[in-house]
Amino acid sequence: MTPQAQSLFRHPSLWRAGDVSPVVPNGIPTGHATLDAALPGQGWPIGEMTELLTDCSGQGELSLLMPLLAGAEAGGDWRIWVAPPHRPGVSALTAAGVRTRQLIVVRADTVGERVWAIRQALRSGVCSVVVGWLDRVDNALLRRLQLAVREAAIPLILFRPLQQAQQASPAALRLQLSARAAGVLRIDILKRRGAPANQPLYLQGTRFNAPSATVATRCAAPPALALIA
Amino acid sequence: MRWLALVFPDWPMQALFRNPSHTRPLAVAYRQRVCALDATALAQGVRTGQGVADALAIAPDLLVRPKSPEAEHSALREAAGCALRYTPRVVLESDGLLLDIAGSTRLFGGLDALLRHLRSDLAAAGFQALSACAPTPRAARWLARATPGQCVADDDHALAEALAALPLRAMEADTSLLALLADSGLRTVGEVMKLPRDALARRDAAGLRRLLDQALGQRPDPRPYFDAPPQIDSRLELPVPRHDSDVLLFAANRLFNACCTQLAAVHAGIESCRLELEHEHHPPTVLTLTLGTPSRDARRMALLTREHLARLALPEAVGALRLKAAHWIELAGRSEDLFGPQAPSPARRQEAGRLLIEHLRARLGPDRVYALSACADHRPERSQQQVEPGPGTTAAVQGGRRPLWLLPEPRLLQTIRNQPWRAGPLKLVSGPERIESGWWDSDGEASPGDALRDYFVALSVDHAQLWIYREHLPPHRWYLHGLFA
Repeated sequence: MTPQAQSLFRHPSLWRAGDVSPVVPNGIPTGHATLDAALPGQGWPIGEMTELLTDCSGQGELSLLMPLLAGAEAGGDWRIWVAPPHRPGVSALTAAGVRTRQLIVVRADTVGERVWAIRQALRSGVCSVVVGWLDRVDNALLRRLQLAVREAAIPLILFRPLQQAQQASPAALRLQLSARAAGVLRIDILKRRGAPANQPLYLQGTRFNAPSATVATRCAAPPALALIA
Repeated sequence: MRWLALVFPDWPMQALFRNPSHTRPLAVAYRQRVCALDATALAQGVRTGQGVADALAIAPDLLVRPKSPEAEHSALREAAGCALRYTPRVVLESDGLLLDIAGSTRLFGGLDALLRHLRSDLAAAGFQALSACAPTPRAARWLARATPGQCVADDDHALAEALAALPLRAMEADTSLLALLADSGLRTVGEVMKLPRDALARRDAAGLRRLLDQALGQRPDPRPYFDAPPQIDSRLELPVPRHDSDVLLFAANRLFNACCTQLAAVHAGIESCRLELEHEHHPPTVLTLTLGTPSRDARRMALLTREHLARLALPEAVGALRLKAAHWIELAGRSEDLFGPQAPSPARRQEAGRLLIEHLRARLGPDRVYALSACADHRPERSQQQVEPGPGTTAAVQGGRRPLWLLPEPRLLQTIRNQPWRAGPLKLVSGPERIESGWWDSDGEASPGDALRDYFVALSVDHAQLWIYREHLPPHRWYLHGLFA
């Protein structure tokens, strides 16, 4: 870089996109250090919608959320899954530290019912995490969800098909998930608050699918504590 | 001042419709004569005592309903149930209530505050009342009929003075007797009081003297107190059969409010109730409202009703609503937080969670909202079950690595060159884990309960980790059973 360019950069009215450091409230740690480092609030954003765009099934896409879902308090701490595509496996969830009895599973067919159920869950003020699976949904409904989650001040995670990546969305964070190799999840950050991210992240996604013995010892400590804080 | 009298003006009408939101003039007729009417009908020139044909000639769009003694009876008991919140001593009258408030005026912060609360409770249930206070029940009732709003102190002289000023029609006596007195030139109660006793007796009016003595407190006037039955069965008619859920919800709210006030009076709650929507030609549509936890929260009932109504296809317009609730459950009082609303306690969050679940169920269906729990069974499809969401932990899990997604039914996999195939060959990563269990569940050839399987974790060409199994017995087919998502 030439000295002239350097002096140009110091001009007070010049705004560099790379320097953006928005004030983002701290999120809930994802349990994956590399992902935390790439997210503006060092975790899943609270009071914002997060979209996970993926066509994966069986490539570790749900394991990504296990630290967030684990570690519910004993009473009155609800999590809700709206319209999961398959039956959740209790053994695997329990091994990951999720209290399955406090995980409300909702079956809903139409997009309208799903969005309605998600909004009710957000409005009720008793869920600490809402996870939903949506296929085709128009922007107006997404915007409504965005408004609802802002008031609820909890993370809302939406799984959507990859082809929806082209559609504009009010979500504060959009991650594209794909499998790179066995047990390695590739995450492309399509949208986040602040500076855009160009590098994909690679996560070892198999940690929560590991044999239950090792998982049991792992889940006894950190992610659960992180949630309470 | 001991007795509070409530009189419901145009009671035959209030009892049937509970102040509906409507625009057409309404009247209730008894033996083809108008006996009660609303303000719209009054403004159009309809009067009580008119023949129905005359009234219809004056106001052609007048809606006339026959008087219903049963509806009046049950509505009066409902209003009495609401009043029980303010005193345990409530007396039923033909078109009103008498409340002994000597013991509770202070508790509710004076007569004005008590009246304000009582009126708002009654208004929420759809009743409007005129009131008056007096030392004796009969005097209170006469005052409420003739000069509502009056409050006579506990003083014989003041009471006699207040009664003397009342017109004759305030007295609840035989109409022919009152007509006789009126024909004799008497206009007020005071003038009747001045008549000598034997003069009244000679005119067959000795009963009148007894009424006067009771009103003045010179003769005992015992009354049976109302005892609330531990169930609610209230009905409300709509002036015109309606389809739209807003109108139905508005009407249902009247019933819910009345129900909850009655429950509050006896410190009870209900877990569920039935709301019946009555049609003219069809059997009633029944909504079962499940509240999740014992409660007497009218808003919660209204919320559930709205979801039910949104889902329902009514066969016909609704002519009347009926609310039934039995099985009252004692509901302990709850102390509020000394330092204002803090973060809700776990118990309250638990309750709010129940409410959310019932709310979702009301719209989506009861079997579509659930939680999961582990079962002691090695067969994966039977190792978990749907349970009621709530606190509690599931048992520790036995066995090897399990997937996060289970398919509802194992899916048959293609086999190519003896290798399981799913858009490419599947590479076995770990296994086999043999599961051999359930022979005792065998239900004939059609659905053999036993599982004889070797489970493997397999890797597909698109890097998905699958949970697949091979049948132990020939023909050794391969199935996909789960996904390590």
